[in-house]
Amino acid sequence: MSGVFTLKPPLVQKPEDLLAAGQSLSATPSPLDNSLAVFTTPASSSQSARRPPDEEQPVYFAGSDAVPSYERRLFITDTLVIFAAFQNLLKTSRSKDPEWIHNERNLTVMRKLAIDYVNFIKECWIHASQPAPRPDGPLQYSADHYRSLYTCFSLFVVLYLPEPGYEEAPVGEELMEWLNIHFIEPSTEEGDHLSSLKNPWEDETFWPYLTRATLRGLSKASVFFLKMLSGHPSEDLQHLAETMASIISSQPRLQNFTAERDFAYASRRWKDKVKALRVEMEQVLEADRFDDFDNWWDRFSDIVGILEGRAEIVQRVCEELGADWKEVCAAWGVFVDARFRRQDIPDVVDRILDEMPPDPTNVEDMVHTALFTGKAVDALAHASQLDRWLAAHLADIMEPLSLISVDSQDEIPVRDLHVLAYAEYLHSDPALWRITVDYMFSCGDVGKERGDEVLVRVPLRLNDKSATAPVEGEGRIRAGNVVGVLKDVNQTCFDYQREGARRTICRIAAQTLVHEKNYGLAVSYCSSAEDWQGLGRIVDRVLDEYITSGPARFAQYASDIAPSLQNLNIRHPSSSAVFVHRLMFAVRYSNFQQLRIKHELQSAALDLVAMFRDDVVPKSWWAVTLYDAVELLQYRSALLFSAAGAAELLAKLEEIFVRTSQGSGGDYLDILARTIAGGGYKEALDRLKTVRLALARYFARSAVLSI
Amino acid sequence: MIQTGVISTAHGDLVTDASYDFYGLRLATCSLDQRIKLWQLDESNGNWELEDDWKAHDAAVSKISWAHPEFGNIIASASFDRTVKVWEQTSGIGMPEPQQPVQANGSGSNASTSRWIERAVLPEARGTVRAVEFAPHHFGLKLASISSDNHLRIYECLEQPSLTTWQLSEETDIQALPLSPSASPFTRAQQTNALATPTQTSSSLDGASAPLIAQALQQGLQQSSSTSQQRPGLGNREADGGWCISWCKDRYWGELIAAGAGTSGVIKIIQLMPSNRPITLLTLDPSPAVEGAVVPVDPDAGGPSSSAITSVSWAPSCGRSYHLIATGGRDGHVRIWRVKPGEEVEDDMAADSEDGQWSASIVADFENHKSAVGRVEWNITGTVLSSAGNDGRIRLWKATSGNVWRPAGSIGVEQSEQQENENPAERDIDME
Repeated sequence: MSGVFTLKPPLVQKPEDLLAAGQSLSATPSPLDNSLAVFTTPASSSQSARRPPDEEQPVYFAGSDAVPSYERRLFITDTLVIFAAFQNLLKTSRSKDPEWIHNERNLTVMRKLAIDYVNFIKECWIHASQPAPRPDGPLQYSADHYRSLYTCFSLFVVLYLPEPGYEEAPVGEELMEWLNIHFIEPSTEEGDHLSSLKNPWEDETFWPYLTRATLRGLSKASVFFLKMLSGHPSEDLQHLAETMASIISSQPRLQNFTAERDFAYASRRWKDKVKALRVEMEQVLEADRFDDFDNWWDRFSDIVGILEGRAEIVQRVCEELGADWKEVCAAWGVFVDARFRRQDIPDVVDRILDEMPPDPTNVEDMVHTALFTGKAVDALAHASQLDRWLAAHLADIMEPLSLISVDSQDEIPVRDLHVLAYAEYLHSDPALWRITVDYMFSCGDVGKERGDEVLVRVPLRLNDKSATAPVEGEGRIRAGNVVGVLKDVNQTCFDYQREGARRTICRIAAQTLVHEKNYGLAVSYCSSAEDWQGLGRIVDRVLDEYITSGPARFAQYASDIAPSLQNLNIRHPSSSAVFVHRLMFAVRYSNFQQLRIKHELQSAALDLVAMFRDDVVPKSWWAVTLYDAVELLQYRSALLFSAAGAAELLAKLEEIFVRTSQGSGGDYLDILARTIAGGGYKEALDRLKTVRLALARYFARSAVLSI
Repeated sequence: MIQTGVISTAHGDLVTDASYDFYGLRLATCSLDQRIKLWQLDESNGNWELEDDWKAHDAAVSKISWAHPEFGNIIASASFDRTVKVWEQTSGIGMPEPQQPVQANGSGSNASTSRWIERAVLPEARGTVRAVEFAPHHFGLKLASISSDNHLRIYECLEQPSLTTWQLSEETDIQALPLSPSASPFTRAQQTNALATPTQTSSSLDGASAPLIAQALQQGLQQSSSTSQQRPGLGNREADGGWCISWCKDRYWGELIAAGAGTSGVIKIIQLMPSNRPITLLTLDPSPAVEGAVVPVDPDAGGPSSSAITSVSWAPSCGRSYHLIATGGRDGHVRIWRVKPGEEVEDDMAADSEDGQWSASIVADFENHKSAVGRVEWNITGTVLSSAGNDGRIRLWKATSGNVWRPAGSIGVEQSEQQENENPAERDIDME
């Protein structure tokens, strides 16, 4: 890339002016796409003698690729379908049979998919060529760009993906067909012009037109104009033209033969007829070889030379007509060597290129050259200059065909290199993340891990209420459904078995959900990521809610996480005990709180004692839980605790007092203290004394009542 | 290249650092104006909206770093005021639960005016904190800082929900770490101890020539004069101090960090171990590769720092068996190092086995900036390197096939010729 991309508005006249002001540029790359934030910064190592001006400083944003526009996006998404089908074919066939590539059926499918690409590019080209109004904005890539892709991809199919069984068949006619489809010569206008003339041979374009038509194997046009020569003043020419017309229209075509041997035999017989024509020509007297305009004999002789397959004449004629090496090569296969095979092409093309070099400034031509000469790696390099799409999709097919090596000295095979370059281009549009990772995950480890980096950074938009109506979004989350992008990302991780990435995403999602106090969903994401520490943190947050928001809200939050506890026990029986233990307490404690709120005090009391008995109450929560008992102990209408239960509470209470006196009060009193506004351990102990009093009274009451 | 946006008035003074959040949807910027600003991308129109803006420090803010989102919305800022501060965004944005009172954790005094709340101040540095970076998430909520007192500090958050308690788990003098790894771990440890004794404090400049020291003193006065007054014995070493750090993003190799300090022009790859002193695994020293012994002198450097490496960036390894580390510095070079980890060898074997050692080679060395390089940074996949130089250019570098690194474009802010022709009236946008 040459030249400097300049940002607007400009800050200085010349880049040096920045340094003169003690400034410099700096930049940071965006994880979202292929863009950078560029900002003015103090010059590195500057003496800062001149203080930078105290003025507003800008931050610029620049991307390395234009985001694919409408038509390009269509191209990208639609060709992905073919790419995915191809990946699927590779996956299923490779697993079934290591020799799968030699299986004719597989080759047929490969060829079909490659032709699908060609047809799709062709459609894009036609679409882009139409002068129709474009409501979605101007084209990002010109029709000519798609035409280039079309010529390259179809050439690749002709050269490397022949119909199964035809690998060894002569290739000349196919090459000529390719040339005629993509590089139309002679032009229709010339033909129309000549056919409108009474004596077309008087026009200077007549002989070049006839020669080119013959060279291109356009037999109908050749025969038409040869027939017109029946009006030519020279009887010799009239006669010769008639003979030639019959020879040209009877040239054997491979497609008309069932066996190549028959075709070769017919071609030899046909060549004999051409030789006879040459002999006939030689008999025309020197003096009769001119008409009023030209030496018709020389012109005629060139055409005969082509039909004879004389390489030097084919090449000279091509040069005179302004045709390039491709035309020589195709004509070679039709006239010079009728049994021209695919494996012969590189040698012949090398020889032709020596004298008719390709145009190094024309990337398309360079791709053709490399494909013709069998240099797959070079072809990809040129293709990537033309369009990273082309290189990626060619490479994807080249690898199974063993045209490029699977190994690489740099750990990234050639195919992956090009597929990843294309994926990187796709990353210029964050909305294309699915396609970006589809391509990345089709690669080896390096590509897969790059895919992880992209995937984990797909914004989850969990708190993006602007996207959906707030009520609706809320409802969906509360209903326990994973919303939108997170679901998609999670599914992609599953599809490609990216467990590491999935866990990271789950942990981030859990964190975000905790932030939103959506603890239930947070717990399920944490357990899905098997992030037990994170789970512990969530439980802490939920327990914190008791302190900050009171029992009622706590009970509500804790009931959100209760279902997760059951799932956890089923799915991860051995999951880290400590955190699950805390979670269990949170759930049971919230049950207890709910019973209290609903005034089911008898059950609440039983529950309270059971929690202590089952040893689910962490020490730090003993004091809080015991303090909750006061209300139950003081309940007038009935004695809610059994004597043993009350004794149990007393034992715990006494342990707290004893431990506190030994200096470990913090372990027991911290949380209770935090629930008392402005309170400390002393206040907490005071509260516990009320528990003690309540217990004493309770024992007294029960002693009296039980007598 | 294509311009996708501009914030025309981002800060009231030069911007010292900008850092995208994990997703690239938000951008934190900091400036000489002592403020931090948070910008949010409006994806519907590509504009960046100011989300928050507060005075963060009592001096210029030098660097800003985002914690991994699994810990929440947390940033750390480093400053010339010798502190690192940790900020957290409270549950504000677009979230319901209005009945929820803001928790007055920590020193959230500015909670009413700002949704970003200061959670912790880490005051241990005895000089300008030049860089701060959160560790990769798999190592927990940790951050590293490096400052002009030559020290690399690692802090670990002990209470995650509140973010108020940060333990200084490591504090090590970069210069005192051995320059090159010795073959045996035993001798390596010995060297570390020997160099760390206070009597050896001037060792860092042993190799530098006399004029360089003089210049160092000069710049020391200029850059951190107050610091040198505080610690007079260490004046020489603080002339340049620590410049840059970058964590290894990979989990496999344990906690590794690349750090650059002083004028030696080397980057040290430091291994942090929970129960041991940090050790230098490898030193990235370009000097043998530079032909001749001539140290290129930056014309405007005016000081000793002509070979100081002031920026380092450790690429995400993304499945490669080797690491890529980019460096940029006063010598005007952008270098890419290919660092090959040592094979796993038993400790007693490592003594006489080359396999156990980390090795490095330069795979790219560019002088295109032709002036001091202030910053190098990789993209998320480690495939594109951006560098910034005093030539007023951002340059991009990419690996082409065969692993050859090549220029991949450059960006400037000068008037292009085309613009000049189009609207000469805009010239008065110029500085001054």
